[in-house]
Amino acid sequence: MSEFLMYLTNGVVMGVINAISAIGVSLIVGIMKVVNFAHGELYIFAGYFSYHLSVSLGLSPLLAMPLSVFFIFLLGILMERTLIRPTYGDEMYSLIITFVLSIVLQNAALLIFGPYPNKPPNLLSGATNIFGLFHYGNQRLLSFGLSICILLSIFYLIKKTWFGKSVRAISQDRGMASLVGVNHLKINMVSFGLGAALAGTAGVLIAPIFPVTPTGSSAISLTAFVVVVLGGMGSLKGCVIGGLVLGILENMGAAYISTMYRHIFGFIILILVLVFRPWGLFGQKA
Amino acid sequence: MMLMMFLTGSWALAQDTIKIGVVGPRTGPAAATGKAFEEGIAIALDHINAKGGVLGKKVEVVFEDTGGVPEKAAAAFEKLATRDKVPIVVGESHSSSALAQIEVANRYKVPFIICEAWHDDITKKNYRWVFRAGPVNSGVVDFYIAPFVKENGFKKVAIVRENSDWGVGIADRTETNMKNMGIPFVTLKVEREGKDFYTELTKLKAENPDIILAYIYGTGLHFFVSQANEVGLSPKALILDGAGPPSLWDTFWKNVGKAGELELFMSSMHEKVHLTPTSRKFWEDYKKKFGKDPTDYKTRSIYNVVLVAADAISRAKSTNNEAIVDALEKTNLEVTTGIVKFGLKQGTYEYHQWMPPMLVVQWQDQQQIVVYPKEAATGALKKGK
Amino acid sequence: MVDNMETKKILIPLLFIILAIFPPFFLSQYWLHVMIISLFYVMMASSWNLIAGYTGQVSFAHAAFSGVGAYVSGMLAVNLGTSPWLGILIGATVAALLGLGLGFLCIRMGGIYLSLTTLGFSEILRIIITNEDQWTRGTMGLQVPGFFVEYSKASYYYLFLIVAILFLILIYWIIHSEMGLSFRAVLNDELAASSSGIDTIRVRISAFTISSAMAGMAGGLYGHYLMLITPDIPSLGQMFLVLAMAVIGGMGSFIGPVVGAFGLEILSEYIRIYGEYHVLIFGLVALAVARFAPEGMVGIIKRRWKKGGFS
Repeated sequence: MSEFLMYLTNGVVMGVINAISAIGVSLIVGIMKVVNFAHGELYIFAGYFSYHLSVSLGLSPLLAMPLSVFFIFLLGILMERTLIRPTYGDEMYSLIITFVLSIVLQNAALLIFGPYPNKPPNLLSGATNIFGLFHYGNQRLLSFGLSICILLSIFYLIKKTWFGKSVRAISQDRGMASLVGVNHLKINMVSFGLGAALAGTAGVLIAPIFPVTPTGSSAISLTAFVVVVLGGMGSLKGCVIGGLVLGILENMGAAYISTMYRHIFGFIILILVLVFRPWGLFGQKA
Repeated sequence: MMLMMFLTGSWALAQDTIKIGVVGPRTGPAAATGKAFEEGIAIALDHINAKGGVLGKKVEVVFEDTGGVPEKAAAAFEKLATRDKVPIVVGESHSSSALAQIEVANRYKVPFIICEAWHDDITKKNYRWVFRAGPVNSGVVDFYIAPFVKENGFKKVAIVRENSDWGVGIADRTETNMKNMGIPFVTLKVEREGKDFYTELTKLKAENPDIILAYIYGTGLHFFVSQANEVGLSPKALILDGAGPPSLWDTFWKNVGKAGELELFMSSMHEKVHLTPTSRKFWEDYKKKFGKDPTDYKTRSIYNVVLVAADAISRAKSTNNEAIVDALEKTNLEVTTGIVKFGLKQGTYEYHQWMPPMLVVQWQDQQQIVVYPKEAATGALKKGK
Repeated sequence: MVDNMETKKILIPLLFIILAIFPPFFLSQYWLHVMIISLFYVMMASSWNLIAGYTGQVSFAHAAFSGVGAYVSGMLAVNLGTSPWLGILIGATVAALLGLGLGFLCIRMGGIYLSLTTLGFSEILRIIITNEDQWTRGTMGLQVPGFFVEYSKASYYYLFLIVAILFLILIYWIIHSEMGLSFRAVLNDELAASSSGIDTIRVRISAFTISSAMAGMAGGLYGHYLMLITPDIPSLGQMFLVLAMAVIGGMGSFIGPVVGAFGLEILSEYIRIYGEYHVLIFGLVALAVARFAPEGMVGIIKRRWKKGGFS
């Protein structure tokens, strides 16, 4: 029984982190109809920045983490202005550009940061005994807690603030939104930056647990895409539910069916959803 | 005209140096081995060229990257054979890569000395052009890992193996040994580049092993060790790194933290264990050149085979492939781990094989303590609680 | 005037084909190998261009289909002793069937969904290949026999050359046939195309199937040439190279992928001397091309040509 709980907990923790990562993608898709293939790379860059700021420059992780996310936010805005904006409207080219960008960033990471995994320092170490049933890493618990806080903040941002309302307006009807005065170019830019920043946030939260490597970015991007498709493009609720479903399914599948195929569950879900219910659990029927 | 010459490869022939080809992972999950190779090569070239080189010419090394995967490895070997036209190739640290490369060696008839790819088949296939001056799975298990487990009274063994040729090979051999010794064991497979082992580790915990033989070569081992600690599996169950180098990389302590205490690993090198004068000389020259103690034993492995190659060319008095193979078969050379003599018995893995002595080392207070074999031990084995 | 153009259209390719006969006579083994690999990429890039450049569907499953061809043929050879000559035909057929199936699944979907589905398919395939190592030997690599009893690079060169030329002829014929015209109609304006009665769905599925079959055959040839089949073949890394070659060479043009394939492959050999930067450089160039000159190198050259008043 305690094994089952351990797998479940792992699934939930990973699920929440998946959700944050996925929201980064969902936001961009919902608003700009662009799939950011470079998502995983932004995530690992954040991890690398966090590592170097803490380890090479000696900053406290409490400062390094937000700072890294901020850099990624800037990077996202830069990407949007130089590469994405010109291809706006041409779906094919934006797909090609973000795909190529992801490969470029992956190789750049290899060149700049080296091939070895980098692990920013843990804020907490050791493990806690959960209800006397099993041990679970403290850093994981901390990341879980932080993720929940961040998710709540995002919900607040989208539901209650003016920015959030503009975002929702644009994703529903861009034409109308600009008629009522929403500056959609600016919103595009900030949203892309925010999407990038969310990727970065997931990165700095996970990097102390799973060190970042240049080749790890593809798996991260793909996991995010599965969650977004499963939950429904443009739906925040979908990202959370989707993230949890994926996290739990992967861990259970790995535990009880086969550890070797843990990633395949995600992809099978992806294909099944795309075939039978492409708008996902909570998405809008286009 | 220049273009023609360029294309026909004649540009590659520098008449006044002898080129030795090296293959190894300069990129990929085992890139640290590539770095170790670079260091060993540098010292080998210093030694060889200080003595006047080979056949009166300076010796140069062309080091092609294999990326740790067989398709790149085969391509790397082919480049050395067709583009650089080297008389001999040495190196390699991945069994799957080596198994692909020996086919290329056979096709182009280029002598190949492997130093750190352990799979039995590499020499068991009995290819005339292929030699190995390095560990072989069966040797490592039969003479070191299995007796170590038995003599230290371990009661339940967990074998964790990655899905690579090396992992599968060494795990199979270990299972055979455990069966023969009557020690109960359980085997678990993991992905070659996995990062999250919580699920596997939880399953292992239920089996209650007191020693885990981790056959994972790459940074995956670091995550395995640290996570085993997090779930409370180790140090109650000791972990033995069946390859060795990952426990020696710079990033080990950074990634693993306190969980590295009491971890065991295979090695063929230790500060206090000098089997030959060459070993001592290597240690001192390394310290002089790089300003630190050598930690990764693969620096010595590549050093050894470069020396063997140079020696063979010298004795063959030519760069002709047949002559080199004949000379190799008659090798009787002192290197850092002993005197290299290749076996000639056909039909087994002992053909063209020389196995160096190995050590089982344990991290105690971040110091390397040799715990097996008893004759070389510098301290006693500490078990976990 | 018309006569001049027609003869030019046949003479120039004929000239290239005749020139292509000579390399084995003066190239070293090493450079012959580079030529063979380039021809593989010509096959891959032009068949990918058929769907991406001409029908606007960005599929990320192309490398996966080449992997299907390679592994089917390889496993048949290893387990049943099938001759590679037959094996690659079977491999191409399996790839075509999978392409048909995948194409059928994707019909309802727009660009993003198609790309994500093909991405998912590609990764599923790679994971299955990597994990079912009792059959495929996964990352350890599957060793397979070659096409010729006596290994001869020149023979492989001619084999690849002949197949590449056949592919190009087939692609040329398709583009200029009625089906091809409908491809371009779909690309330019799907709504208009379907309202003028073109069955866009059938068009897309046919293109996808043919393209997958070609990728499958190319994969089979590649695998039996290297005599080693690994999960690298159906990987996204390979997909990127194919995509970059088509983009840089010029998507939507016939000659573009050929130029891209040869250009990038030969260039990568030069850059490799300096280190493993070639992927990064290609990526940057591809970004620049996609952003500033979407018609690719061929487009740029065509523009210069017209400006220079040669026509």
